[in-house]
Amino acid sequence: MSVNFLHDHSRVESPVHRLPAALKLFAALTIVLTTVLLPRTQFTGLAVIAAILIVVVILSRLAVLFLLKRLLLLEPLVIGVAVLMLFQPDGVRVFLGILFKTNLCLLTTILLSSTTPFTEMLRVLKQLHVPWLMVSTLTLMHRYLFVLADEAERMRRARASRTFTRRKRFQWRTLSTVAGQLFIRASERAERIYDAMCARGWK
Amino acid sequence: MNDAIEISNLKYRYHDGTEALRDVSLRVEPGECVGLIGPNGSGKSTLLLHLNGILPEKISADGAVKIFGGSITAKNLETIRRQVGLVFQDPDDQLFCPTVQEDVAFGPQQLGLSETDVAARVHRALEQVGLHGFDHRATHHLSYGEKRRACLAGVLACEPKILVLDEPTSDLDPRGRREFKALLREIPATKLIATHDLEMVVELCSRAIVLDRGAVIADGPVAELLGDEALMLAHGLERPHILWHRHPH
Repeated sequence: MSVNFLHDHSRVESPVHRLPAALKLFAALTIVLTTVLLPRTQFTGLAVIAAILIVVVILSRLAVLFLLKRLLLLEPLVIGVAVLMLFQPDGVRVFLGILFKTNLCLLTTILLSSTTPFTEMLRVLKQLHVPWLMVSTLTLMHRYLFVLADEAERMRRARASRTFTRRKRFQWRTLSTVAGQLFIRASERAERIYDAMCARGWK
Repeated sequence: MNDAIEISNLKYRYHDGTEALRDVSLRVEPGECVGLIGPNGSGKSTLLLHLNGILPEKISADGAVKIFGGSITAKNLETIRRQVGLVFQDPDDQLFCPTVQEDVAFGPQQLGLSETDVAARVHRALEQVGLHGFDHRATHHLSYGEKRRACLAGVLACEPKILVLDEPTSDLDPRGRREFKALLREIPATKLIATHDLEMVVELCSRAIVLDRGAVIADGPVAELLGDEALMLAHGLERPHILWHRHPH
């Protein structure tokens, strides 16, 4: 039983998937930066970027529904921030502008992460001489994200086995206990991993 | 009388396409203690997760698994989970509350019992597994053997009719193993134990079921099955020592 919430894309094969990771990373960064720097009034510019992204989506052969789901998952954060814009003069327009721009950026990163294996991305970061501490932190995060997700899933099963009630309040309270335990375990595991690394001569 | 557990033609496939259970049919009578044996990856744990409706993710209406004659449905899930107590292999998965007392009380609290009744059940369960006085100990600071017992207490406190255990003696020291076996022997519930500890199967179970590659290979009396060396070796097992020279302990 292993959690594969990040690996849905690994079965897809397309020209976009085959492009070198460095190129994709560079392109994605360029698109994100351009989108952010373009003034809101530059509709043609933003439309061009949107068109480019749509072409990439088609070429990448990713399921549109899958991309939309990912996008939707992040939408609460985007809207949460954008809503603040409504409190200024001409707020609605600013709100829509920000919403559009943020979604373009998100779509770009989702496309990048869905067409490029994370390990490839890490390799590129290393080649680009990104600070070593950051790369190794990301590497470890990627490695143990799955372990933690598996652990959370096994805990969920064990908990469900002893849950005989549908009372929502009870379930929420349980969830908070579990979240707390997961934090403790993650930090204890981190200690053990660190010890194991030291045991093999890591400095 | 209905079988405690009745499984007919159960199949299960994981998301990644792995066929974990190909075609499993078995029955366990009330009061029986059955050992489920087989190599790593034979589908034992996956099978156990079907017994209280944790798997399949979407409960199907085909009724492949019946508990006391009734199929598992989305509606009776809570009742089923009250009847079937599952003790997981890794105690850390199961103990998610900060203290032993809270964890053992987790099940009973949902049964609508009064606070005194819950406390009484917790007390009884802890007594039963030999963890008297451990109420306020932190769960993540127990020894491995103590964690195992705390898990069992948490399930016993719900007073299940069927007790399902996944590798209950793995990673225990010889004394811990001996004591845990003695503990299990005292529990009157119907028991299904998935394990590699073949000596425990000889000591506790009347019947054994061999599972390999998601299918039942053999099902019969313990002495007959575990004494069949060719069968045991063919499925990653071995004839337990205790059967070679049985002597009173």
